[in-house]
Amino acid sequence: MENEKKGTAIVVTSGKGGVGKTTTSANIGTGLAMQGYSVVVLDADIGLRNLDVVMGLENRIVYDIVDVVEKNCKLKQALIKDKRHEHLYLLPAAQTKDKTAVSSAQMVELVNELKKEFDYIIIDSPAGIEQGFQYSIAGADEAIIVTTPEVSAVRDADRVIGILEANEIYQPRLIVNRIRQDMVKRGDMMNIEDILDILAVRLLGVVPDDENVVISTNKGEPVVMDEKALSGKAYRNIVRRIIGEEVELLNLEESNQGKFSKMMKLLFGR
Amino acid sequence: MSDSMISIKGIADGVFISVEGNDYNKIKQALELKINENIDFFKGSKLINIVGDELTLDIKTEIMLLLKYKYDFILKDEEIPSSKEIESQEKSQASTTTNIVEEGMTKFVHGTLRSGQEVSYNGNIVIIGDVNPGAVLRAKGNIIVLGLLRGVAHAGIGGNKNAVVAAYSLLPTQLRIDDIIVRPPEGDSYYKYPEIARIIEDKVIIEPYLPNK
Repeated sequence: MENEKKGTAIVVTSGKGGVGKTTTSANIGTGLAMQGYSVVVLDADIGLRNLDVVMGLENRIVYDIVDVVEKNCKLKQALIKDKRHEHLYLLPAAQTKDKTAVSSAQMVELVNELKKEFDYIIIDSPAGIEQGFQYSIAGADEAIIVTTPEVSAVRDADRVIGILEANEIYQPRLIVNRIRQDMVKRGDMMNIEDILDILAVRLLGVVPDDENVVISTNKGEPVVMDEKALSGKAYRNIVRRIIGEEVELLNLEESNQGKFSKMMKLLFGR
Repeated sequence: MSDSMISIKGIADGVFISVEGNDYNKIKQALELKINENIDFFKGSKLINIVGDELTLDIKTEIMLLLKYKYDFILKDEEIPSSKEIESQEKSQASTTTNIVEEGMTKFVHGTLRSGQEVSYNGNIVIIGDVNPGAVLRAKGNIIVLGLLRGVAHAGIGGNKNAVVAAYSLLPTQLRIDDIIVRPPEGDSYYKYPEIARIIEDKVIIEPYLPNK
């Protein structure tokens, strides 16, 4: 590759499982590559790898992260080039090992190596706060916290922010995933203000609950590439904020009604 | 100088200390030397009294605080001379500041306490920030939160029923003062004014904090 870079390593984490860390990692990684940056997405969830599946690269895995740290292969051999994007690579997790296979020191060394080659290193952290989480944050410069508008997820996010601060990763940014504006309006779901009130961190973006995410995940094509989906737009905005642009928050309300009701309005004036 | 200045006698179920002189620093030095010689024995012992010919009430109070907070001494009748006693002995002096010394040492924490974080202290705790759900505060003295208190606060650990918990917004998961545990009523209310919790007749009473009261 070109001359040495000084990339930024961003860990995507949440504490609680199932809030959308892997989906977020895949979309941010893909989105950054779409903006022309060289990106590697690193699956740190050893033993429960998913990122390769979400990105549709599962059948290309030969070597994985454990092979790299154990020096069974060269780093470049383990990097999988994305199907669609020139500068996007995946470093897959091992599926047959567990979290004890990698230490924090090895991770720091690996991430520093990757920083020389890429603009962004997106680290998909495992759920929990055990060893897997510890090594996944070890090499990170910044952190993105993913939460859903549920008290349990927010509570775990709060815990994780505290641990990140103890590990000298300050000012993480927050993505609120799977928000349903209709439920928020009825008062049945926590709104963004409630969440920010507790967590007191910068908001990076809000992603609506959108069935397109499930469809795209199953197809192995991150939704960020979907021009029409609202969630895709939300992720594209998040990516633009990561690279330093000022982008207003998405208006989630008009979207949920969809085009049909807009047409109805136009046609019948309702 | 040191040995002869202090004598510590074990009587009945506690210790009796007699001191000479009226120089607090010297007394403190000698006393600490003595205690440290046999720290395991003295730690947590019950203090019967401190006497001395030249002993002033101020020095006595200071020594008691030192013993209480540094060496976990248990004070008889729970407490350092009450304000009444001080008043009676120092009638001539203005009594507006008499309570300050009783409050003991204070730990200040700057910033928000998040879930899983815990602050324990042998005196008072002041948090300059919020206390989020899942965070725990434990103090032998009072707890003051200059922000939202949503975690668990335990004040007055070890029998201090005079301890209070106060916050700009008092919404704790659970509130404990000494051995009394209370939960806030169901329903998430958001109080916009400061409140203070204290024990009155064995019940924790929470009321708005009014500076003029």
